[in-house]
Amino acid sequence: MKTSRGLLPFLFALALPLTAAVADETCNSPYLANLIKGQEDYLHVWTLGVPGLGDGADKLVTVDVKPGSPKYGKVINVLSVPGRGEAHHMGFSDDRRYLWAGRLDDSKIFVFDVGTDPAQPKLVKTISDLVSKSGYVGPHTFYPIPGRMLIGTLSNARDKGGATGMVVYNNKGDYVASYPIPTSMPGAAQADGYGYDIAINPRRNAMLTSSFTGYKNYMADLGKLIADPAAMKNFGNTMVLWDFKAMKPTKVLNTPGAPLEIRWSLNENDNWAITASALTSKLWLIRPDSKGEWQARDVANIGDPAKTPLPVDISIAADGKSLWVNTFMDGKTRLFDLRDPAAPKQVYEKVTGKQVNMVSQSWDGKRVYVTSSLLANWDKKGADNEQFLKLFSWDGKELREQWKIDFIKEGLGRAHHMKFTAKAAGAAPVDGAVVADRSVPSR
Amino acid sequence: MLACIALISGVAAAAPRQQFVAPAPGSYRLEAIQPVPDGEVLDSEGAAAPLRRYTTGKVTLLSFIYTYCVDPVGCPLAFQTFSELRTRLLANPAQARRVRFVSMSFDPTNDTPAALRNYAGSLAAPASPLRWHFLTTRNVAGLRPIIDGFGQDVTVNLDAQGRPTRLYNHLLKVFLIDARGRVREIYTTAYLMPEVILGDIQTLLMERAP
Repeated sequence: MKTSRGLLPFLFALALPLTAAVADETCNSPYLANLIKGQEDYLHVWTLGVPGLGDGADKLVTVDVKPGSPKYGKVINVLSVPGRGEAHHMGFSDDRRYLWAGRLDDSKIFVFDVGTDPAQPKLVKTISDLVSKSGYVGPHTFYPIPGRMLIGTLSNARDKGGATGMVVYNNKGDYVASYPIPTSMPGAAQADGYGYDIAINPRRNAMLTSSFTGYKNYMADLGKLIADPAAMKNFGNTMVLWDFKAMKPTKVLNTPGAPLEIRWSLNENDNWAITASALTSKLWLIRPDSKGEWQARDVANIGDPAKTPLPVDISIAADGKSLWVNTFMDGKTRLFDLRDPAAPKQVYEKVTGKQVNMVSQSWDGKRVYVTSSLLANWDKKGADNEQFLKLFSWDGKELREQWKIDFIKEGLGRAHHMKFTAKAAGAAPVDGAVVADRSVPSR
Repeated sequence: MLACIALISGVAAAAPRQQFVAPAPGSYRLEAIQPVPDGEVLDSEGAAAPLRRYTTGKVTLLSFIYTYCVDPVGCPLAFQTFSELRTRLLANPAQARRVRFVSMSFDPTNDTPAALRNYAGSLAAPASPLRWHFLTTRNVAGLRPIIDGFGQDVTVNLDAQGRPTRLYNHLLKVFLIDARGRVREIYTTAYLMPEVILGDIQTLLMERAP
């Protein structure tokens, strides 16, 4: 079998497609490993602790979501971390073995091992040096890039306002670098330095960031904040397009009203991203114009903007043809037809709670999970302060509630961000015990 | 052999499409991501040496492989990328002498120095301006700290009886290492674009010596 050039080129030619999943549930980076296209086994909820409720601490709550399981729809693990610090969002490491979870108040980052046994996550590292290393506050988005975690932050330690940046840690949890969101750039849009979400399209070397508000606002009571005209001016009105390779901003896009989650269409032939602005209640399409110049354009209202329904999360279908939008104030989960992304049309809505925040769909779009908490001081009060995780089935016509976990009744807290995991069936670590007794393959 | 020919005609590694002009070499900075771990390795002649001998002194492009890997977005894609880069680097021999490639095995049990020698063939020729080293370790105990140090995930698939199979699961990662032995860039499948990697190599070559 040996040739003059050896076996390597020959084996290259023998390459066969394997069955490994190559796509992600739609709300994550599409460039992760070990992605779940089928049925998710577990759902993890990063949950804000509530004083006097259970242990009062922030916690990672794991729910069994595999139909047919004896504990289907039940909490199977609760992993509390010390104290409360405004638990908010999470993101997987590039190899999906670890889940990074941030807190917006004390800026701590907790790294959970979800690869060894996703039914029982383990806290393996707590990162406490974000502020001292970067000067930024409020780690929000955790977006994996190869060997590293790119973190979008919301604020800064100097004035707790909205000027902020991105921070990179390596996968071991060591600080690597920081990149400020621009506060001045040539062009029509006024750069404002705010940050929120991050989304990358590697084929285009295009990275988008969006913008929210600083610590002083997101930690304030929502009622007092809305009544403070000066404070209400302190929200981001821009998105930034970056040269990802160079980590340099190339254009500021005018998107008034706090553009939040960013989703690139996962359809390989598409070249656009979409976001929703919370305060102006609009969908924005970001794509190149006929001259190849990137532009942002508002393409649809979400509900009645005059009533400030407050769109807070979106979830795009795997084929890029539809988009779920949760609006916090009216508790609605809305579906938009995105077949023409320049003219989205709402085709369905349902009240899914008295307040709703995150929405996550399975890859096949048949399951839609909804949680309730926005921020500890922004959640509704009294009886409207429902805290839950709900699963809805979607048959193309109707959302039907399958089950609900009451996070107050269970003594857990405020249910916020969700991530899926699946059992790593049929694999073992590479160690002496496994490999040493492996039969040498025939040649 | 006929079966092999049939397979060859229908298969290609799924390289990502680059739909942008890469920034000019030297116009951007690659941050120091992490130090390269050390450990004892064996070359394809069976000679033992510290890994740092292969990760310092030149700009190094390193990936983990196993010789019988057939995942089209795994080792074969890395090989395809390395091969294209090799051709482009060899067009400038003076530049090529400042760069090396390293392919290191996940599987010291199967990928002995002799197996790697057979696998590499003329690609490992010592006289080439661009040296391509094919390395393994004495055993898994020697390998484990190295892959952990790089942050390279890998598991072995088990069959229905729980026995190890011939399939390693791993996220393809290619590590770009500067002459001081620091990882300066990491490429997974979606980022494995030869023109971009060449620009990164040249960016590191343009840096002044410390």
